[in-house]
Amino acid sequence: MTKNKSILGRLLFDRFHLLERPLFKNNLMNIKIENRRLQSFIFLLPVMLFAIIFFFIPFIKVVYMSFFKGAILGESVFVSLDNYKVLLEDAGFWRAMGNTLIYTIIVTPIIFIPAVFLAVLLNKKIKGVKFFRAIYFLPVTISFVVASYIWNWIYSDIYGILNYLLRSLHIINNPILFFGSTWLARFSVSIMVGWKTIGFSMLIILAGLQGIQQILYEAASIDGANQWQKFKFITLPLLRPTLTFALIISVAGSFQAFDHFYIMTGGGPARSTETIIMYLQKIGFEYYKLNYAAAISVIFLILLLFISVLQFWAGRFNE
Amino acid sequence: MRKDRHLGFYITNIGLTVLFLAPFYWALISSLKPYNEILKYPPSFFPAHISIESYKDLFTAGEGVFVFFAKNSLIVSTLTIFVICLISIPAGYAFSKLKFRGINILFLAVLSIIMVPFQALLIPLYTLIHQMKLLDTHLALILIYSTFFMPFGVFMMRNSFDSIPNSIRESALIDGASELKVMIQIFLPLAWPGIITTIIYIFMQSWNDFIIALIFTSSKSAITLQVGLMNFATTRFYMNWGMINAGSVITMLPILILFIILQKYFIKGMLAGAIKE
Repeated sequence: MTKNKSILGRLLFDRFHLLERPLFKNNLMNIKIENRRLQSFIFLLPVMLFAIIFFFIPFIKVVYMSFFKGAILGESVFVSLDNYKVLLEDAGFWRAMGNTLIYTIIVTPIIFIPAVFLAVLLNKKIKGVKFFRAIYFLPVTISFVVASYIWNWIYSDIYGILNYLLRSLHIINNPILFFGSTWLARFSVSIMVGWKTIGFSMLIILAGLQGIQQILYEAASIDGANQWQKFKFITLPLLRPTLTFALIISVAGSFQAFDHFYIMTGGGPARSTETIIMYLQKIGFEYYKLNYAAAISVIFLILLLFISVLQFWAGRFNE
Repeated sequence: MRKDRHLGFYITNIGLTVLFLAPFYWALISSLKPYNEILKYPPSFFPAHISIESYKDLFTAGEGVFVFFAKNSLIVSTLTIFVICLISIPAGYAFSKLKFRGINILFLAVLSIIMVPFQALLIPLYTLIHQMKLLDTHLALILIYSTFFMPFGVFMMRNSFDSIPNSIRESALIDGASELKVMIQIFLPLAWPGIITTIIYIFMQSWNDFIIALIFTSSKSAITLQVGLMNFATTRFYMNWGMINAGSVITMLPILILFIILQKYFIKGMLAGAIKE
């Protein structure tokens, strides 16, 4: 056959191996793979569009805006690090940072200690466990706004049920103004947040507890360990990654506190419960100093990014 | 003997249950008391007369503006759910079954949305929405909620699809079905628990949101229940505890009912959302 081939045919056969390869099938496979990539792309497009328009671009924009001034007037002036320099001297900003930090320090144990206790309590196969878990989780499902109003009513000095109970048990003689002093206000709000959030942390810790094998406890029993020793030497160490994880989520959440302080204290007695986000909202949407608020946003971003990174790093222990 | 051992368990838990449910009970009861009884001292633990005047006033105030709040919350939440399901099901499918070189970067991009607190982006989002002339509209809230709650949906769907064996898809493809068909007709029905969990989570987040609604809405055409309740409580119904409690009950009712019926999915969703990251 080769003898009858033309030079062209020879070329095609020898140099390009065109007749040897199943040409058509290869192309089809190439088209198929290209098609799959295209298809995958189309499936991902809507999500990516949302991400780009409403997340990535704003992300870049907020950093960009923080280096300017005068956005609301329509003429932005580049001022490089001016906003940040002002921020460093801004008493209101640092007060807000301090308030948020103090609140986080107060509320975290209020959430965590009961959460651990409840998780241990409910880590059993007794009938009704699922019911109780659901009950303690119930407050997590409602909004902070509603929770705030429910507790405002409980805390009310004149008509509130809590004051009534405390007085009728003769624990106090005069009604307490639960939002009257700075530290009391912080605690009052923290108790509400505890009520609302314990169920969530409890679930995370519970999941962690269920990852600990029963055999370890049984072996400890054989060695004569009591409940407390088992808790201290088996549960706590093995629970550390879960606890760290839950802790970081809780701390990140506390730093974003807004709704409940806005409604319960409005910034508290003498701005002592004004959190970072409350300050941001005030500067950006009440005073309309958008560029300055952008700088605050960037600092807040960096702060939380740092916490997020910690969360990821700690999360690796769960593997 | 066995009952004795668990007695402590039950006593503790029942006691704690009473403590946890007490605020709910108190809000409900207070909303059903007539005005003169709400402010009575000492307060009654059960209303002498059950009255719905608080609810009546709540719904008739300001020519029934509270109904608008409820309508807005409902529209925004359901449309957000719709949008997120629409975009995250294909995305989850792609991340699970249609992988290609470089898809991990896109996955990281979606992941980064949850790593960043949305509050930091409120300022640029505000200018963007303002430029799009969408301030004080349902659409603004839907777009923002869809962006920030969508990653949960994507992860949920990806995980759900991951647990469905590839062989099913392959044989369907060989039979000539398109990926779209496979996704809709085969995978979707198999992944419905994941979808329900996603729906619940998104509903909860968008129904309960306050700060985004506060910033992006200003009139009754878009104000949601959370903001509306706050408006009422700080202006026309300041210190009107009957009305505030009634408003609170109405606002939390949908999510509570949803939770009671579908708790399994709530709890699964919470854990997945937190731990799977």
